[in-house]
Amino acid sequence: MAASIVFALFTIMVVFFNYYSIENQFWFPELASNWGDMDTATLMTLIISGVVFVVLSLFICYCLIRFRHRENSKAEYQIGNNKVEGWLIALTTIGVIALLAPGLMVYSQLINEPEDSLRIEAIGEQWTWSFRLPGADNTFGKTNPKHFGIKNSFGLDPDDKYAQDDILIQSSTLHLPVNQPIALSLRSKDVLHDFYVPQFRVKMDLVPGQLTNLWFEPNVEGEYEILCAEYCGLQHTYMRGLVVVESEEKYKQWLSEQIIFANTSLNLPPDADKQEIVSGEMLSIRLGCTACHSIDGSNGIGPSWKGVAGEERTLSNGEKVIADHYYLEESIVSPNSKVLQDYPPIMPSYGLSHEELDQIVEYIETLNETNE
Amino acid sequence: MNDLVKDWSSDVSTFKIRWSKAMMWIFLISDTFIFGTFLISYMAIRLTVVDSWPDTSQVFALHVGGTDVPLLLIAIMTFILISSSGTMAIAVNAANKKDKRKTGIFMLLTVLGGIAFVSMQAFEWTKLIVDEGIRPWGNDFGAQQFGSFFFMITGFHGLHVLIGVIYLSIVSKRVLAGRYDGIDDYQIVEVAGLYWHFVDLVWVFIFAFFYLW
Amino acid sequence: MQDAELNQTFYEGQTIHHPKSWLTKYVFSQDHKTVAIQYFSLSLLTGVVGVILSMVMRLQLGFPGLFDISPDTYYQSITMHGMIMVIYLLTAILLGGFGNFLIPLMLGARDMAFPFVNMMSVHFYALSVILLFASYLVPGGPTGAGWTLYPPQVLLPGTPGYDWGIVMMILSIAVFIIAFTMGGLNYVTTVLQSRARGMTLMRMPLVIWCIFLATVIGLLAFPALLVAGIMLLLDRLIGSSFFMPDIFQFGQHVTNVFGTEYEGGSPLLFQHLFWFFGHPEVYIVALPMFGIVSELISCHARKNIFGYKMMVWALIAITAVSFIVWAHHMFVAGMNPVLGFFFATTTLIIAIPTAIKVYNWVLTLWKADIHMTVPMYYAVGFIFTFIIGGLGGLFLGNVSVDVELSDTYFVVGHFHVVMGISPILALCGGVHHWFPLITGRTMNNFLGKIHFWGTFAGAYLIYIPMHYLGLGGVLRRYYDFKGLAYVSDSLHDMNVFITLASIVVGLIQFLFLFNIVWSYFKGKKVEKNPWKATTLEWQTTTMPPGHGNWPNKLPTVHRWPYDYSVPGASEDYIPQNVPLEAETEGGSSHE
Repeated sequence: MAASIVFALFTIMVVFFNYYSIENQFWFPELASNWGDMDTATLMTLIISGVVFVVLSLFICYCLIRFRHRENSKAEYQIGNNKVEGWLIALTTIGVIALLAPGLMVYSQLINEPEDSLRIEAIGEQWTWSFRLPGADNTFGKTNPKHFGIKNSFGLDPDDKYAQDDILIQSSTLHLPVNQPIALSLRSKDVLHDFYVPQFRVKMDLVPGQLTNLWFEPNVEGEYEILCAEYCGLQHTYMRGLVVVESEEKYKQWLSEQIIFANTSLNLPPDADKQEIVSGEMLSIRLGCTACHSIDGSNGIGPSWKGVAGEERTLSNGEKVIADHYYLEESIVSPNSKVLQDYPPIMPSYGLSHEELDQIVEYIETLNETNE
Repeated sequence: MNDLVKDWSSDVSTFKIRWSKAMMWIFLISDTFIFGTFLISYMAIRLTVVDSWPDTSQVFALHVGGTDVPLLLIAIMTFILISSSGTMAIAVNAANKKDKRKTGIFMLLTVLGGIAFVSMQAFEWTKLIVDEGIRPWGNDFGAQQFGSFFFMITGFHGLHVLIGVIYLSIVSKRVLAGRYDGIDDYQIVEVAGLYWHFVDLVWVFIFAFFYLW
Repeated sequence: MQDAELNQTFYEGQTIHHPKSWLTKYVFSQDHKTVAIQYFSLSLLTGVVGVILSMVMRLQLGFPGLFDISPDTYYQSITMHGMIMVIYLLTAILLGGFGNFLIPLMLGARDMAFPFVNMMSVHFYALSVILLFASYLVPGGPTGAGWTLYPPQVLLPGTPGYDWGIVMMILSIAVFIIAFTMGGLNYVTTVLQSRARGMTLMRMPLVIWCIFLATVIGLLAFPALLVAGIMLLLDRLIGSSFFMPDIFQFGQHVTNVFGTEYEGGSPLLFQHLFWFFGHPEVYIVALPMFGIVSELISCHARKNIFGYKMMVWALIAITAVSFIVWAHHMFVAGMNPVLGFFFATTTLIIAIPTAIKVYNWVLTLWKADIHMTVPMYYAVGFIFTFIIGGLGGLFLGNVSVDVELSDTYFVVGHFHVVMGISPILALCGGVHHWFPLITGRTMNNFLGKIHFWGTFAGAYLIYIPMHYLGLGGVLRRYYDFKGLAYVSDSLHDMNVFITLASIVVGLIQFLFLFNIVWSYFKGKKVEKNPWKATTLEWQTTTMPPGHGNWPNKLPTVHRWPYDYSVPGASEDYIPQNVPLEAETEGGSSHE
């Protein structure tokens, strides 16, 4: 008796939790794309399943009270009832169809991107994002994982004529024009990732060795975080980017500031004056260093680079060390041999050439100087 | 339909066979899924891989008398294995008639067939690895998954043959020693036969998908 | 027919040797009851580790940074917790424990068909558990790739245990699969071939049906995991590229152990193979708990299970369909999007037979005579949590709803309700119910009720909020939620609340273990058949049943297993082995 009342109370509690969670924003994040239909489908499922849950639960509670054991009470001997069973099956089937049909309709929209979509490619790597646009010829250049290198972080084919005007965005911030369908092709350099912007609702995995697709139409201007939704290693949590949805003009302005492949260092003629192929700064962005190490002194997963060179720091074993050129190089090649206090030993080892190492360390040292 | 259900759900035992035989059948169904998964994975990769798949008639050719004869070795291997299924069937037949000597002899013939098959497979592996330079991580003929799939699937099958050889030799020894004379009617020979036929059957699929495709 | 009879008589005529020494009685025992108890104890001990690991995770999420839990430890805990709970606890205890104990007793057999293989099964299981924990001893620790072990990250730096942890994990799983296969062949053969006279398939108790079908699923699904494991191991050890495409990581092209580059493999293939095992695995766990709950409800409500035949056919339907729904775990994984239509449809179709089962449990309560014993508490609690879990499945199976919910806490909440709380309730109910049969004593009711309410409340307090966090887009497998603009501050409070609740619920589980140990020595001694149940396991001459189960002749079955409250009968239950004539009026046993 008491038990069934408690059971019923729990059921009612679940119903009221809906209000609590709306109040406290355990609810759909504010919608900023065309995928309101997904929310509708979810909400419909929530309502239908909520009704079923409450009805079944309260019916059980009723049975527990009404048919509890009393002296001389006896159960009815009833084998089953095909008629009741048939009705229940029919009702369930109707319910299932009612849920499935709208779901599949939304899905068929989801996998058919509109003709006039703006084509953009998003590239994921541990643990940062970068992007590519097809440029003036509206055709993406060929890529091949074999071309990946520190100098060619998009893996573009240098000989492909379509590749030359591809716009490369070597930053985890992407600008998008508002009210324009965006078709994203997704490509991963290393492991599985997942492109997810909570306000846009859609998500899709990035799988190394293949392309995946998704589309959405951002319709509210603003800044939204890009998150990785598929576990991709120790820094999975911090693999973030930013989408800036803005007016067409601002977007055009931003786009005009981006570099195209032909102008990147890889394509400069070999006899050109600039033998310094990639700057240390560029290297650090391409390698994803700045995902963990800030350059403005703010605290990240790893120690900030600002003001680190030449300073005395404490290691995790309590020893003191001067962060000189040699120490910084060593920390890139075998990062976990001398870890700074309060930081986890999680940085992977980077196999760089001597010159590249020099460039990065020199860059870190310049950070120091400019700030003095 | 109703009668079928009634027959199957009848008293005591569903199938009117020995426990050991029933268990072997169930095990073989499970094992089918293992080989099936291997072969489906192989097909999936072969159809999606970018590099071209090696020309099997060239890779598996045997150099005899100055010319390359495609699939010669494998044809002999297949023939031997299928024949060993035949000798096994004769052994089972003899076992049903409780002909101890004949059962034992034909089982030993089957064992010989199995040993021949495994040795020829070892020869083929050696040839592919040493002469052709095929490795699990790459080869000169095309897609690198060729080597890894080949070694994995034929290796797994070869292991089955090897286990079968050991299994059959133990059983045949016991048959000849007269261990099953008193208590039982040589059912164990039939169970071992099931396993052997299964291993042969799987080979037919591997042969078709690997060598002929 | 002759063969089968030969089996039976041959076995019946044999005088059974009863083991005498401690070693043969408790370690190398071939008695299915001892094997079952070995499975029970070993898997529960493994489960304790799983519970402790979950607390490690919750402490990090509730109080980030406070307990000095590194991302390595966090992700390794996630992985080990998942593996332990799904495979080494639930699969082992439900099939190895309950399966071994109940199948021969409920079918009226002396033992499993192959007692020696059965003994080997539990020894291999022990070996697999040792290998699993040994991965804490190898350099780099256990793998931290999540229980799904997705390549390529599972083999790459940047994931804990990518070098040796994963090797240990695959070896352990392979040994477990061997153990399971040995046990599984036994269960299937025993159910099919060695039932007591009169025990037709349609007279089998539902729990046997469920364990039987779960084993069939296991025998057909585990091969996919084995193959995926072998291929992953080869990628790791001999440099093949089954699942490894060309990868550029941390500024260099990734090479295998031989220094050449990986090339052309398909990470998606692994996901397909994994989930071809992974989804049926859900039913390997779910079906036995359906069965246990069916028994408990029927017995403690003193009423036959509503629509027995329909229940059996629903089970068979679930078994069949469970093999063609796997890709609903992969709606956003990058497979051909058209497949989404097919798998969403099959997934929602499987909801129908599952719903039938729930309806029939509920309808069994209608006009019943409900005794609120402790096992009944667990059974009813299970129905509630399973309704929540089943309805949650409607969200995740429906493809476009899944797109926004996948990889969020909705998924975590959902599968913990289905695979976490529900099995705990079912198996604790089962242990309470059959404990007298194992030991001759009952478990303590007071402790049982505390454990029940704690666990049941936990289900609501921990996992219902998780569902709503998922609606809010909060992602799973995150180490902390600092600095995310779209999640509210109240999320952090909610995380603290969930952590506190889960620690309390976790500790309450130890109460159950304590109850088992305490009752084993001090529990109230009871007479034979304390619950007045109809099924065969309670009809043995001694309780607990001795070696060989039935000392003289095997029982003969005359009726179906649910003759409760038969009109005109002198008692409100008629055991299965009572001849029809003995109860003249109510003798019209249902067929």
